[in-house]
Amino acid sequence: MHPLLLANHLVMLAGGSIDGNKRPLDNSERWGVTLAGLGIVIAALALLVVIIFLFGKIFDAINAKQKAKEAKIAEQKKPKNTPAPVKKAPPAPAPVVTKQEDDEEVIAVISAVVAMMSEQDGKIYKVTSVKAVSKNNGFSGRSAWAMDGRRQNVSPF
Amino acid sequence: MLQILQDILAGLWETSGLYALTSSPQQLIMIIISFGLMYLAIVKEFEPLLLLPIAFGMFLSNLPAVLSEDMIFHAEYWNEQQSVDWLWKVLHDGGLLDKLYLGVKLQIYPCLIFLGIGTMTDFGPLIANPKSFLLGAAAQGGIFFTFFAAACLGMSAAECGSIAIIGGADGPTSIYVSSKLLDGADSSLNTGTIALAAYTYMALVPVIQPPLMRLLTTKKEREIKMPQLRTPSKTEKIIFPVAVTLVVALLVPSAGALVGMLMFGNILKESGVCARLVDTAQNALMNIVTIFLGISVGATTTYSNVWNLEFVKVLGLGIIAFGLGTCCGLLLAKVMNWLSGGKVNPLIGSAGVSAVPMAARISQKEGARVDPTNFLLMHAMGPNVAGVIGSAVAAGILLSVISY
Repeated sequence: MHPLLLANHLVMLAGGSIDGNKRPLDNSERWGVTLAGLGIVIAALALLVVIIFLFGKIFDAINAKQKAKEAKIAEQKKPKNTPAPVKKAPPAPAPVVTKQEDDEEVIAVISAVVAMMSEQDGKIYKVTSVKAVSKNNGFSGRSAWAMDGRRQNVSPF
Repeated sequence: MLQILQDILAGLWETSGLYALTSSPQQLIMIIISFGLMYLAIVKEFEPLLLLPIAFGMFLSNLPAVLSEDMIFHAEYWNEQQSVDWLWKVLHDGGLLDKLYLGVKLQIYPCLIFLGIGTMTDFGPLIANPKSFLLGAAAQGGIFFTFFAAACLGMSAAECGSIAIIGGADGPTSIYVSSKLLDGADSSLNTGTIALAAYTYMALVPVIQPPLMRLLTTKKEREIKMPQLRTPSKTEKIIFPVAVTLVVALLVPSAGALVGMLMFGNILKESGVCARLVDTAQNALMNIVTIFLGISVGATTTYSNVWNLEFVKVLGLGIIAFGLGTCCGLLLAKVMNWLSGGKVNPLIGSAGVSAVPMAARISQKEGARVDPTNFLLMHAMGPNVAGVIGSAVAAGILLSVISY
């Protein structure tokens, strides 16, 4: 089909010129509707991409400005290095649970599960190592609990 | 006296449904098909909220009746040109389902369903990643390439447009376009058969899309993890429906009714000050319209409307439209992945066909099949809701280009 003929049909189509009962459509009308239709859909939605993208940038800038302002106010409200008035000593803090103890608890739980499995199938298992999962190996830095929570949220879909 | 009794019994027999059934056994076939659909809806739970009303509407309209006033639905009314006299005839002489079908024919139900969809849709993922709009636009390729294919088969422009819109995977949009284009058109197609094909393929999204997704993407591409999206502010979410309505209505005024109602529903939700209206639109209104739409569309599936070559063409071209839409979305997502240096998982492209949220769910499932720690759902929701807007724009273009 000649490009000029196609362009002519594209212009005609803008005016709603195809009779609904017309059959069959000629070649330029087929191409015209297909190309003009898809082109206009893409153009309309591309315009929306630009508008929404710009809105996003404007709102990000406004939010960043507001955050900076709030941080500045918070900074100003911070007490200066003047000696604080003597307060009554707080009660003794509860013993801090260290990460080491956390890890030991996790290992104990894993060992208990393994022991239960060995009771069930009659075999004896031994935990030889428990390794931390690297954040770079596809776990997106999420803990096992966070991953499981997310999986539960998505599973209804 | 015996003669009178005999005459009465003969009269009753001749006006009974059983007599009508013996004279037109085709209706029996349609009744059996409706039983099959009821089985699928109740036992297999295939889209029961829609399939059961459609199946029961099919059952009711195919019940034989000799007298016109006994008929619950008159298929012959709907091939006539709409006019005041026609409307009076439907209201005066029509059966219950004729009157309910007016909501389809006058494009009331599709717009009300869009209002309900708007109150249920979160455009957050689309606002957070506006590039998703392009995937929603690309997936509309299914509509226009199918228009081309239907035109090559010698169909009229109104028929081509009505069949092609099935590729938008959006039931209300298909009804909206076909009821306008086929009104008084010289065609054996009708809105009921288009709606039946559209909803059938929407229910079959989990069957149609996955093989195409696996065919057009590599395992490596399906494994791509996308970074978490930002959370848009409330102000952005309120501005979004106004901006979209403005742009779409200015560019394609014919899409104004559908997009306008979709965005009206959305602003009701996002404003946070119309909780009662949102509740009604999401639940009561949506359920009522779904019942009326389902049963009246089901009623149009009479033997003469379904058992013809045209309906076979609708089914054939409908699945082509659906498949092409999926492929177009996937291919653009692959291009975006290549341009971004491997940051876009192409599986989200197939969600560009509307079918909310089924298509996004399929993207999530296919991604999780390869890597269970990959969560694509929110990324796929962007193209998915963009597809709703895209199919409404495509519908507007078809209505602008084809005179009806």
